Amino acid sequence: MVLSSLGQRISSAVSDLTRAPTLDEKAFDGMVKEICNALIEADVSVRLVSGLRTSIRKKVNFKELGQGVNKKRIIQKAVFDELVSLVNPHAEPFKPKKGKPNVIMFVGLQGAGKTTTCTKIARFYAVRGFRSCLVCADTFRAGAFDQLKQNATKAKIPYYGNLLQPDPVVVAREGVEKFKKERFDIIIVDTSGRHRQEEDLFTEMVDIQRAIKPDQTIMVLDGSIGQAAEAQSRAFKEAADFGAIIITKTDGAAKGGGAISAVATTHTPIIFLGSGEHLLDLERFEPERFVSKLLGLGDMAGLVEH
Amino acid sequence: LFRNIVGGKTLTKEDLVKPLKGMEDHLVKKNVAREAAERLCESAERDLLGMKTSNFTSIETTLRNAMEVALRKILTPTTSLDILREIQSVTKPTSSRLSPRPYTISIVGVNGVGKSTNLSKLAFFLLQNRFKVLIVAGDTFRSGAVEQLRVHVRNLKELAAREGGGAQVDLYERGYGKDAANVAGDAVAYAKREGWDVVLIDTAGRRHNDQRLMSSLEKFAKLAKPDKILMVGEALVGSDSVQQARNFNAAFGAGRKLDGFIISKCDTVGDMVGVLVSMVHATGIPVVFLGVGQHYADLRTLSVSWAVKLLMS
Ligand SMILES: Nc1nc2c(ncn2[C@@H]2O[C@H](COP(=O)(O)OP(=O)(O)OP(=O)(O)O)[C@@H](O)[C@H]2O)c(=O)[nH]1
Ligand SMILES: Nc1nc2c(ncn2[C@@H]2O[C@H](COP(=O)(O)OP(=O)(O)OP(=O)(O)O)[C@@H](O)[C@H]2O)c(=O)[nH]1
Ligand SMILES: [Mg+2]
Ligand SMILES: [Mg+2]
Repeated sequence: MVLSSLGQRISSAVSDLTRAPTLDEKAFDGMVKEICNALIEADVSVRLVSGLRTSIRKKVNFKELGQGVNKKRIIQKAVFDELVSLVNPHAEPFKPKKGKPNVIMFVGLQGAGKTTTCTKIARFYAVRGFRSCLVCADTFRAGAFDQLKQNATKAKIPYYGNLLQPDPVVVAREGVEKFKKERFDIIIVDTSGRHRQEEDLFTEMVDIQRAIKPDQTIMVLDGSIGQAAEAQSRAFKEAADFGAIIITKTDGAAKGGGAISAVATTHTPIIFLGSGEHLLDLERFEPERFVSKLLGLGDMAGLVEH
Repeated sequence: LFRNIVGGKTLTKEDLVKPLKGMEDHLVKKNVAREAAERLCESAERDLLGMKTSNFTSIETTLRNAMEVALRKILTPTTSLDILREIQSVTKPTSSRLSPRPYTISIVGVNGVGKSTNLSKLAFFLLQNRFKVLIVAGDTFRSGAVEQLRVHVRNLKELAAREGGGAQVDLYERGYGKDAANVAGDAVAYAKREGWDVVLIDTAGRRHNDQRLMSSLEKFAKLAKPDKILMVGEALVGSDSVQQARNFNAAFGAGRKLDGFIISKCDTVGDMVGVLVSMVHATGIPVVFLGVGQHYADLRTLSVSWAVKLLMS
């Protein structure tokens, strides 16, 4: 996704400029424009891109740059910082502890990859010695429980669901209570896909959350999402106050700018990337490494001061 | 305030640079892929260069009008999309030289876009029109895919019974792990033997950049010989829409293309319905249906005026 191709374009825009014989304001504007185009084509929200443009211009303030200063370094640093601030909200995601129940609730738009990803996460913790289990609180989508059941069975993860109970709030509560009693460490609750335009669905999400009081709510986002990412993720944040994001389908061809916009808008860290349909297709995410890779860094690594 | 009111002005390239950039940004905000937005702007520019603006009409307004025309043009299909008539011409041919056979529709697309759900909506629509519809579980890979269709077929059977008048629906499935092309081929042969009107084939979601999965679509088209191949694209997707549409359009071998798009999840994007434009721009293939919700009745045909209005708002 975003990493290689977008990164190449941005870093070549920066290095083209800094290598140019005359580093004048026109060339600088050209670079800013090229970076913004690259971001727009990667689906970063138009609003965020124009903010980033203003911010780079202000930080570099080309007119005031004196003769002696290292323009190249100042420009590189400004671009780097802006990109880091897009994907790195400097918020620490929740870390589960062994020996107590950690309830994790998954939320997100329809078809984002929640059900697939919750089994991946359950397995991730299971192999690290946590007793992990799954609760299917999606009572709406046809075949949702079968999907979770088949995935859980393959991954050898205990699961709970109740086909006779149409109320997801009840199923969620039942499942979490049962597994708490059985002293599981990680209890993951899968929920139906929903969107901000349908109020009842958001109310349902809040009701489930109230019933199970999750230690962590995770929003799952499709890596190919476009300009709607910002409004949807903001609405989810307001309603469910999720504390982490997982971006899925990063094995696709999309550049991931929509998902990055969601991170920037909600100041919420990405914790994992989904990279395929299979159980093991999961990667941990670290923002600094991501941006370094994004920029195809070599000499820029030294600029990281975080 | 009246600076831009330039009625009677002959438009030059310079006059248009800024308004065109503004228009392009506007379209991108509506989730039109940049590539498609650029092409639309170029087309509007061509129409406007050398033109005289009308009295009391700003350049912006003149450009808006030209863009509306360009959008209308790209979204309006050039061929008839009357799917019911097409089905009838195959299941009840008027010429005695043609023997009746089932009409086959297959649904393809990337992961999670809404293929199975919109296939079920399509089945509902056909049942309302009193067809005998066989649904084929051609996704033999994703967990729960077969059970998902089983639930839909159970619900649809109830609705069909209420509908009466020959409406009938059933599921053809061979479980998981089987080759989807073979299952589809067998299903079509079965449907012919048993006198079904329409065969709706679901397929597994696949990434358009996965060579292996994409190339299996060619065999699929060969064995299932679908009358229509519809691709589901979701309104939520960003600029990847362009490549998705192109790669699926090219996946069925020489001489076989997509026949239309179903753009799903239109209810989740407000006025950002740019995917409609991006996918048609990428391929020239028309939008046949829109998905506007998660229930059986949430399937619409495309109203071009509706789409243009949202895109220009
Ligand atoms: N290529 C790829 N496909 C994925 C990935 N994660 C999920 N999928 C696929 O995306 C589709 C949708 O995934 P689900 O897990 O059903 O999505 P969901 O969010 O639970 O969907 P709803 O419950 O209907 O809202 C399935 O076909 C998955 O196999 C990923 O990282 N890469
Ligand atoms: N809001 C909304 N949701 C939709 C629409 N169409 C489908 N969905 C939802 O999107 C999710 C995925 O739908 P599916 O039909 O399972 O998607 P798919 O393309 O078959 O998924 P895979 O087979 O896993 O690739 C489900 O939660 C559906 O209810 C629509 O038009 N609007
Ligand atoms: Mg699910
Ligand atoms: Mg499906």
